[in-house]
Amino acid sequence: MRQSQSKSCKRFRREVVSWLFLLPHLVFFVLFVAVPLVFGMVISFFNWSLLNDNVFVGASNYIRTWNDSRFWPVVQNTVIFAIVSVPLTIIVAILFAHILNKKRFGQLWLLIAFVSPAFFGSVGILSSWKWIFASFPSGLANYYLNKAGFINAAVSWFGSTGVAWGVIILVTIWWIVGFSILLYMGALQRIPPEQYESAKLDGAGPWKRFLYITLPWIRSVLFFDVVRQVILAFGLFDQAYILSAGGPAGTTRTMVYYLYLVGFERQDFGRAASISWYIFAIVLIFAIIQLVLVTKSIRSTEG
Amino acid sequence: MTSTVARNRKKLSKRIAAVVVTVLLWAFAAFWFAPIFWMLSTSLKSTAVAVIQSPPEWIPKNPTLENYKIIFAPSGGLSLIRATLNSVIVAVGSTLATLALSIPAAYALSRLRFRGRMLIFWIYVAVLAFPGVLFLVPHFFIIQGMGLTNSYLALILPGLGGTFGVFLLRQYMLDIPGELEDAAWMDGCSKFRFLISIVIPYVKPAMLVLGLMTFLGSWNSFLWPLLILSKSDKFTLPIALIRFSAGWGDPYRGIGPMMAGAFFSVAPSLIIFIVFHRYLMKGISLGSLGKE
Repeated sequence: MRQSQSKSCKRFRREVVSWLFLLPHLVFFVLFVAVPLVFGMVISFFNWSLLNDNVFVGASNYIRTWNDSRFWPVVQNTVIFAIVSVPLTIIVAILFAHILNKKRFGQLWLLIAFVSPAFFGSVGILSSWKWIFASFPSGLANYYLNKAGFINAAVSWFGSTGVAWGVIILVTIWWIVGFSILLYMGALQRIPPEQYESAKLDGAGPWKRFLYITLPWIRSVLFFDVVRQVILAFGLFDQAYILSAGGPAGTTRTMVYYLYLVGFERQDFGRAASISWYIFAIVLIFAIIQLVLVTKSIRSTEG
Repeated sequence: MTSTVARNRKKLSKRIAAVVVTVLLWAFAAFWFAPIFWMLSTSLKSTAVAVIQSPPEWIPKNPTLENYKIIFAPSGGLSLIRATLNSVIVAVGSTLATLALSIPAAYALSRLRFRGRMLIFWIYVAVLAFPGVLFLVPHFFIIQGMGLTNSYLALILPGLGGTFGVFLLRQYMLDIPGELEDAAWMDGCSKFRFLISIVIPYVKPAMLVLGLMTFLGSWNSFLWPLLILSKSDKFTLPIALIRFSAGWGDPYRGIGPMMAGAFFSVAPSLIIFIVFHRYLMKGISLGSLGKE
């Protein structure tokens, strides 16, 4: 009787000590992750301002956002950006990872060139790209493309919607692909080489080897990267803000950019919060679609 | 006889092919990295020369440091030295605090048994999938409510609830052999002692990776500081650079100093990558693996 009491007492002490290790982080987690999620939801149902005269307005922020003629074009922009940039980034990353996994002369320099930009800050690299895509004839892009005969007059790169988006996508891939390259390099190194050798003996070409060996082996990393990239793509802000300032005529605005304008320029924080939940919903839908597509393509090769 | 010649020829052509591929790859790498080089190159030219120059001069004939002098001379209440100092304080503070909080939490979630452990773990994993934009508006009001607008803490605190670090360290801690733990219990080692003398040395590489990624994340952070900072004496480097370039109106009138500032902000990241790339590669590929 007494013994069991001291035993349960001991277990209780053990549990308390364990929780004490977790507690410091948990406090910050509650304060800056859990509470903000609930608080953000609350704000989205209020007419919330800097002056503390907040009024409960029900779902009207969501309805106003839904009916806002400037909201859906912004959604469309971001969705198209994600549809184009996520698969492109992944393809480029897997390609580079394949190439960089072979030891070569000057391996470190190749890594620096292809991977290090992912660790650079947006303001630094984007102002450099903005300078490369300067609108006058001696701008780097204009000069070389003109010389190569692709264009015959200086292009104003951020003056037309399609071209501006092209530049944003190009720069984004250049910038972020390095991180994915590292992910896939690690994943590819874990594939046992015998797998490829026996496939080669069976006469499987490089494409088949990729489909039937590489893809299933890197599946978990691919999933991780897809989710990561979808979140990243729908968080697109810096590129649009710094490169094109949302122009021309607001056609390169993204969802986060729009949230920034509504919330922090016009100070309508309730609506900004509602926009953030729309973004969350769209990210969720998009991530699920992508995961289903990836799973299906892997299943079809396995089955 | 002829067959060895043929074999040698085949070997030779294979080697030539490998060399050609490597050379092509090198050329492509140079092309890929050209924007960074162009940044550095422009920063060493006077603006008047840089803007009108055609054809572009990749290696400046008359290199000058005048742009670097311009950006470090305070102008209009903006000082890049001050901004650099701010960025360093915030990045170092974030890094140390993240490590101090994440290590014991990861230890509890990987090596200790208690009720609710898996629940907390799965909540921590689930929030990794929440886009950061959800937190902008509530963080803004929480920081404002704490009276911390325009402070270092405004830039440090919101990131400390993040669970990526806990997740990453936990992955490493799961690998600690059980025998090590048993031996420690035998010796009457307390949990705290075990954490300090066995777990921490074991996961040092992971701590390095987490530290580097937190540092770089803070150093590069843009949107949040843009929202929460309004006083120029607390501007971090990216915000100061953006304000700096806005001050010129025509974006290309100040291109020399701008590229100097850009290169100055990128250089630490480049150095960190060169020195620590092995750890970063290993840490990032491990952080992506779900472990059952």
